Amino acid sequence: MTDVNLYDIIRGPLLKFALFVFFAGISYRFFRVLLLGLPEDYAKPKGNPLTKALEKLALKPTQGWRFFMEVFAHRGIQYVGGFLFHIGFLGLTFFVPQHSFLWKEILGFELPYMPQLVADILAYSALLSLIALTVHRVFNPVLKLLTGKDEYFANILIGTIIFTGLLASRWSGGGLYVWALNLHMLSAVILIAYIPFSRLSHFVYYFLSVFFYGWNVGKRGVSF
Amino acid sequence: MTLRVEHKEEITQREVETFYNFCKSSVNTEVASYLEACVRCGLCAEACLFYMGENISGKIDPTLTPAYKADLLRDIYKENYTLLGRVKKLLGFGVKITSEKLREQVKLAFYTCTMCDRCTKVCPMGIDTPRLVSIVRGALTQAGLVPEDLAEATNTAIEKGSPLGVDVPTFLSRIDFISDEWEVEIPVDRKADYLYIPSSIELMKYPSSVASTAKVLNKAGVSWTVSTKAHEATNFGLFTQSREVTRELLRRILEGAKELGIKTIIAPECGHAYQSMRFVAPNVFPREWDMEVLNVVEFIYKMVKEGRLTLPKRVIDKITLHDPCQIGRRGGVLKEPREILKLLAQDFKDSVEFPEKNICCGGGGGVVVEHEADYHRQKAFLAKAELFDKAGVKDVACYCANCMLALSKSSQELGRDYRFISLVDLVAESIEEEEG
Repeated sequence: MTDVNLYDIIRGPLLKFALFVFFAGISYRFFRVLLLGLPEDYAKPKGNPLTKALEKLALKPTQGWRFFMEVFAHRGIQYVGGFLFHIGFLGLTFFVPQHSFLWKEILGFELPYMPQLVADILAYSALLSLIALTVHRVFNPVLKLLTGKDEYFANILIGTIIFTGLLASRWSGGGLYVWALNLHMLSAVILIAYIPFSRLSHFVYYFLSVFFYGWNVGKRGVSF
Repeated sequence: MTLRVEHKEEITQREVETFYNFCKSSVNTEVASYLEACVRCGLCAEACLFYMGENISGKIDPTLTPAYKADLLRDIYKENYTLLGRVKKLLGFGVKITSEKLREQVKLAFYTCTMCDRCTKVCPMGIDTPRLVSIVRGALTQAGLVPEDLAEATNTAIEKGSPLGVDVPTFLSRIDFISDEWEVEIPVDRKADYLYIPSSIELMKYPSSVASTAKVLNKAGVSWTVSTKAHEATNFGLFTQSREVTRELLRRILEGAKELGIKTIIAPECGHAYQSMRFVAPNVFPREWDMEVLNVVEFIYKMVKEGRLTLPKRVIDKITLHDPCQIGRRGGVLKEPREILKLLAQDFKDSVEFPEKNICCGGGGGVVVEHEADYHRQKAFLAKAELFDKAGVKDVACYCANCMLALSKSSQELGRDYRFISLVDLVAESIEEEEG
């Protein structure tokens, strides 16, 4: 099989299959949890639960900074690394120039894309952050206890995607280009299909978990 | 069948199955969302007073991480509610629960978690770990694995009406004593608008709090009473997470209050008492529980705001505040004690940048009665003491007798010289000085 044949398979049926698994899996997981139901709460709320739930959905990720001295001081690497990684990975997925044609195919229109220099900076910072976060997971006793195969596999997979993306767009010339691109696309396809089975699906549960958190904050009449 | 909670030494397959089934049946949308949302970041550890206390001593115990405390529950959830989990179980890779594993759960859920809710505030996903720990506690209780001291106190509460064994004759004699000693009128079993229910810790260990509350109520000029039927505010059903015990103890309060035509219950300086009556009772008795519930500090603040109570005298120089988690962070009474203290103290120094950040006493959730948890409680106190030291204050106002007990105990055991003072005592002092 030539590199171009493989490219066609990955871009064609494999990507379609992965996207199907992703959407079906994520929808199943979201609705399965949603349909479990809730008991009625008859206690009169002290504040406004719905307002707080919506407020927290927008603000919760930033509120860890309020515990700066005790949490940030011990886990700065997670805050800074986590922020850079998320910004980088999401920014690259949706707004990197090389992906614009892909989104046009999927969505029917082209997404705005960032200058190549910004994309490069995001890619390097996301990759370095991911490495730092993984090393931190290995050595920090708390993270070591909490981390399973799922986290390491996901980190390696995402690292491969970013690294091969950089390789394809920046470093490899000539015949190696398609192989680097194939590896990049293949790891991305595996990731897309893997998300519903892993903790990477946390972006779906963020909306449920933080909604309940905010609701309880409003019910109890506290601000935070 | 007599209502009791059990402390079993031996763990057999039956206990394991009971634990497992309780966890499985406790899952709903909210619980599943929390279980699924955890990204294993472990930031919650840095907010947990038990983990912090160990850290201050130069040690790291990763098992004290709140996320870890819900891990067995998470595993049980996964193999019953997720596709991958079900497949794993089918292939024989399901959750294996040994007796050691269950014993570890007792340590994690009962000895090293006060369900203070601080970890929730730090969690980027807003996971309510106390909610998850409460399920683990409930499952352990159902399996008969309640820590010995806690089981004893809970059963005494069921049998005699109070965890400290305060039955009706003892209650009446304590009320008589307090009335005489502090020269304050305390109406008993009268038809009234307000029902004040003390906790037995106050009655037996901090009687001045009861006298002070009586003085405040008399001064505010409201129609109030105490009740022989509803004479105990604490609810050990919440500590053990036994629905049956919670219901039984609340039923006594409901019946006592209904008999006297009560409109508002005044919960004492007791965290779980407020939590149980304000947020749990309406769900246990959705039709019958139609009374308003105010914590005594909320009541005082309301009276001050309405001009029915004035606190013109400052009765203490420099003081800080300890917030009981179940009244403060989980109960929403955070502004009121601060506003009151500003009127009572020359120099009120808050020990935290924002009220929800305050640290638990280390003895909440029943931890103070469990002697097996003494080591962890003392370690946790180190985190608390750091706050007092940073504020440079030795006097600490409290609005929970259980917190006062735990803080005083730990402070004494560790040779510290902080003074823990009831907030209502300060209010009463101010009223008396004004009258004087």
